[in-house]
Amino acid sequence: MTESRRGWLGALLLAAPVLVGVGYAVLAGFDVIGPGATGWSANRMVRVLSEPAVWSGLGWSLRVATLSTALATVTAVVVAVAFRGSGRGDRVGRALAILPLPIPHLVAGAGAVLLLGQSGYLARLGMAIGLVGGPGDMPPLIYDHAGVGLIAALAWKEFPFLALVGGSVLATRGNVLEEAGHTLGAGRWTVFRRITWPMLWRGMLPAIVAVFIFAAGTYEATALLAPSDPRALPLLTYERYTDAELTSHADAFILVLVGVVVSLAAVAGHEWARGRWERLTG
Amino acid sequence: MCFRQLAAVAVLALVACRAPPPPRAEDSGAVPWDSVVARARGTSVVWRMWRGDPSVNAYVDRWVAPRLRERFGVTLSAVEGQGAEMVNQLMVERQAGAGGSADLLWINGETFASLRQAGLLSGPWAGRLPNAVYVDSTSPIVRRDFEQDPAGYESPWGTVQFALIYDSARTPHPPRSVAELGAWIDAHPGRFTHDQGFTGVTFLKTLMYAQGGGVGRFQGGFDEARYAAGRQAVLRWVASHRRAFWRGGAAYPPDVAALHRLFANGDVDFSMSNNENDVVTKIRQGILPASARPLLLRDGTIANAHFLGIPFNAAHRDGAMVVANFLLSPEAQYEKQRPDVWADGTVLDRTKLPSEWADRFSALAADPRALPADSLRKYARPEVSPVYHARLAADWRTRVRQAP
Repeated sequence: MTESRRGWLGALLLAAPVLVGVGYAVLAGFDVIGPGATGWSANRMVRVLSEPAVWSGLGWSLRVATLSTALATVTAVVVAVAFRGSGRGDRVGRALAILPLPIPHLVAGAGAVLLLGQSGYLARLGMAIGLVGGPGDMPPLIYDHAGVGLIAALAWKEFPFLALVGGSVLATRGNVLEEAGHTLGAGRWTVFRRITWPMLWRGMLPAIVAVFIFAAGTYEATALLAPSDPRALPLLTYERYTDAELTSHADAFILVLVGVVVSLAAVAGHEWARGRWERLTG
Repeated sequence: MCFRQLAAVAVLALVACRAPPPPRAEDSGAVPWDSVVARARGTSVVWRMWRGDPSVNAYVDRWVAPRLRERFGVTLSAVEGQGAEMVNQLMVERQAGAGGSADLLWINGETFASLRQAGLLSGPWAGRLPNAVYVDSTSPIVRRDFEQDPAGYESPWGTVQFALIYDSARTPHPPRSVAELGAWIDAHPGRFTHDQGFTGVTFLKTLMYAQGGGVGRFQGGFDEARYAAGRQAVLRWVASHRRAFWRGGAAYPPDVAALHRLFANGDVDFSMSNNENDVVTKIRQGILPASARPLLLRDGTIANAHFLGIPFNAAHRDGAMVVANFLLSPEAQYEKQRPDVWADGTVLDRTKLPSEWADRFSALAADPRALPADSLRKYARPEVSPVYHARLAADWRTRVRQAP
């Protein structure tokens, strides 16, 4: 077996579970299998993909994923840069920053309900100091159209992962280049802007893309914090899959395919960006 | 259909394939109950059920399971699963030709309809349980499951009745009818809502009965024209009060647990439950305030029964029947109905029971924390075809939830 053939086989084995799942979703989406299947037909595909609820749900999920990923990235970069040293304070800072990592998303979501709800701890603090009159006066941060609570919960859960990646990028590639910059007379800000930041984001990009894909499709925290309208894509998928009407279940597979397309687009975007800067930096 | 075969092969590639057990001839015949009990000894019964309430779990794990082990040598393990998830699981098991992962299912209404429609239940068996002689076969709530004839494919297990929940300290004079509720909502903007799940849809169905001419108009199977009129009535009521709902009717709590939380925290003044006695257990668990009380609307509230089914591919059918029979015993039904345990209504007819048990059930009904039995009966309305529930849920999503 040649080297490249082995590579292909390995890749195929890795992809097999996903391919089988996607294959099933395609067959169910075209009504070939599953309850109420009629044999190849695009009717269901056309009907589901022309529902405004699907597109508003997808749009909402993408917006939440974008904002929470951006917030997590900024926080992670600040943490990675601020606590990059080897002193005691840096070590403690790094340890504290990764605390949210082992906390389950469900717990993070429930925590956000307790903290950010209209009668949550934040609201009670507001009432205690006279900023908020009652639950109704507190601006809604959960089940809210803007998704503030969900964005905050996801960013809080994901930033430690990105900070770990950022920290290791700095630790392995940082110092030499930055010192060279300083030696050549660049100020701190210039070094950050021209050396540290480009190095960081390129090293972190695969992790950032992974966080984005996760945030767009995650169910647990979304179920606890998202508004009833628009219905986030993962919630809409689950709702269809568990509908009392058996023949609606195949709708969920079409929504899964929509999610897969989003993920593939994000990965393709990453590959394109990498190809571009590799050409530039050769 | 070569694509269908291709798809089946794709599924089989993932799931270890095992031929479904061939139906055993002796099951369908009248094997003496003693033989069923003998064959059940030493088996493990997996019970797929809703595991969302600590009181229910405690009853099943710490009261039922030890007794089954002691008396019948049956090991009971309860696992999570409900409604459509359960249907999907069985559907996948059948497509994959795999053996069953559960022996007993807690089901009713739409789930029973889906399972029957897809041929995923084994039966008939319920009539063979010795304790079935005690079942209240005259009650319209127990005899029919959302108007469907259980036909021996499920055995009744408990009854519940929908009730609103209010806080007697916060709302000393609660509304007692749908009309009064509407007026109360308008007078107290932002203090009422319902959830998006099963309980919320049951509330909407209560409105449909009340505003659409009574339950009688919806009985006798699903009827498109009658449904359309009922839906109009519900949507009209919702539209006229919605702006005074919590968050102006633009957002709804995801499930009844979230609604309980809003109620307990003082965000809203009402919660609701499919079980009229839920208040008692939720107060004991510290979820609801001690002054929380159940409330029946005079227009009628929906009562239904829940049942036990055995999946077509159950590995331990005999064990499952022994469990179902024990759960139907006066002893197990009484324990379940105690307010300190679960407060789930019995499906047994008191007049058919040995006098010792009849007396104990009568004493339960006199508990000051329970709603009076006569008003429960007076306001109880049966379920209608599960299609009404499914359609109302779907239409609420598109016509109310998506149109804030």
